[in-house]
Amino acid sequence: MGYELREHTADVAVAADGPTLGVVFASVADGLAAAMADTVPDDGERFSLTVRAESREAALFDYLDELIYERDVREVLPVDNRVTVSRGSDGDSNDDSESDENGASDKKGEEWVVDADARGVPLGGLRAREVKAVTYSEMRLEETADGWRAYVVFDV
Amino acid sequence: MTTREFDGVRLERVREYVWEIPREGEMRVPARVLASEALLEQIGDDRTLQQLKNATQLPGMTKHALCMPDGHQGYGFPVGGVGATDTEHGCISPGAVGYDINCGVRMMRTNLSYDDLQGKEEELVDELFRAIPSGLGGGGVVESGLDTVKSVLERGVDWALEAGYAVEDDLLHCEDEGRRPDADADAVSEKAKNRGKKQLGSLGSGNHFLEVQRVTDVFRSDVADAYGLAEDQIVVLIHCGSRGLGHQVCNDYLRKIEKRHGDLLAQLPDRELAAAPAGSELAESYYRAMCAAINFAWVNRQLVMHRTREVFERVFGRDWEAMEMHLLYDVAHNIAKKEVHDVDGDERELYVHRKGATRAFPAGHPEVPKAYRDVGQPVIIPGSMGAGSYVLRGGEESLSLSFGSTAHGAGRVMSRTRAKKEYWGETVQSELRDQNRIYVKAQSGATVAEEAPGVYKDVDEVVRVSDALGIGDKVARTYPVCNIKG
Repeated sequence: MGYELREHTADVAVAADGPTLGVVFASVADGLAAAMADTVPDDGERFSLTVRAESREAALFDYLDELIYERDVREVLPVDNRVTVSRGSDGDSNDDSESDENGASDKKGEEWVVDADARGVPLGGLRAREVKAVTYSEMRLEETADGWRAYVVFDV
Repeated sequence: MTTREFDGVRLERVREYVWEIPREGEMRVPARVLASEALLEQIGDDRTLQQLKNATQLPGMTKHALCMPDGHQGYGFPVGGVGATDTEHGCISPGAVGYDINCGVRMMRTNLSYDDLQGKEEELVDELFRAIPSGLGGGGVVESGLDTVKSVLERGVDWALEAGYAVEDDLLHCEDEGRRPDADADAVSEKAKNRGKKQLGSLGSGNHFLEVQRVTDVFRSDVADAYGLAEDQIVVLIHCGSRGLGHQVCNDYLRKIEKRHGDLLAQLPDRELAAAPAGSELAESYYRAMCAAINFAWVNRQLVMHRTREVFERVFGRDWEAMEMHLLYDVAHNIAKKEVHDVDGDERELYVHRKGATRAFPAGHPEVPKAYRDVGQPVIIPGSMGAGSYVLRGGEESLSLSFGSTAHGAGRVMSRTRAKKEYWGETVQSELRDQNRIYVKAQSGATVAEEAPGVYKDVDEVVRVSDALGIGDKVARTYPVCNIKG
């Protein structure tokens, strides 16, 4: 469980796994923070965000895109990420640990809701470097025997 | 016939420095790599060639998808990639432009010599580092609101001229005079503008930097004269792009295209190649938004240059005009532009995507600014911190070989994660100072390690190949004196 920064010629990749989609999303986000700063102080207030997307992969992409947006406009590094992922299309809001019961994803009208919060560490007190953007390149989000596994490449 | 194979991708040698991946399977056209054997070894070492093959599947891809001598793996489309798609029957792909729209380089001349600078290096690097925003959350030269951002997006450097951050001469030495006429601020999302307003006039981090350099070699004196370059002269190189605004434009349109043109996306081998069919509403609005982001990046580099002039005035106690701190040229290396090219005898309008590649139009081309039309467009190729950079001019063969393009830099060979294990920022910094007399100052020691000279390809070899192919001819070489980065 957790994340790992992986080799990528020009950019940086994060691999993560966890028992639920929410835990995996949060681990990728923690990996994104680690790619920007090696050490992080304990301060900063928590903030929350919600994104909706048409598939699990799109939800992961939009969530990470939104975190990078919040970083720039709030001028904070989002760390200690917490996430819940649920199905939202038919008002049936299953917990993320059961949300894949139908197997296939990307069905018409499907909606995935990401409710997340993070501690925003003010950038002023950090020695951080910029990750420019999340990419779809080589992105993987797969179900495993123990839960979920993700691989995301970020543009640096 | 000489052939090479890397991970199942076979290349045939067409002639010296030209390699072709023949058309097969889903490829619409062949792919070409412009490289020496030594560079090809490095290019074949990661997924660059597979990404190049994938790029040939974009609708309307014309002649061949190309990889420049400094190419390396990117996301979707390789870095160092050039792909020209038909503006009527083809497509435009935000992923083939890249996140940092109009990431690019500008060079400013001075009339100072290296002698004038020696003894002042530390003061200069400290002052530049203090004055020019860099890194994450460092703000911008201009504290702007949404109205300012909108003007910048639509008017480019013309806005900077009116606001007192530029002079007329700056516009005359910039591609398109620093303003893309197709720009539309309304095609840029509120989110992108919100990111832009805090970052107008800033370097960012990663491989972006500002460097004070000295000219060490002149290879073509007639062209160097026309560019105002001479041995021992001090110049300033600025490398940055459109910051968060451009990144947001790219992702906004990738997602819109994914939702609207899922049928086209389903035929492509990589989601990051997402493309809007030519003539579609999204193709038009992405093009207008990208042009607006191009304007933003030009203003960004202009503001950094303006600050640099002020710093030089303080450190040297003279007006910048007296130090003849004039813009030599500004080149974009992440861009798509409508251009007319000869394709098998027909003039065709194409979206020329250059991702980590530089336009290199030869002498006489009508789109080369008047100041340089007789000698060819300046091409600025930054090297790593410990190696030289180059000034080239667009070569006679560029239009026939590479849609008027050449390389954009040294190109990485080592990942950032590995670089951090191999190098320690402070050690790199003191070695550069003690052994090479290069003064480096950075927000983050990790950035210095990640950008250590050893992580890059040999820029001399990249430029040698460009020159030998005649796509970009060597004019001058520069060597760093002071370097600031995020």
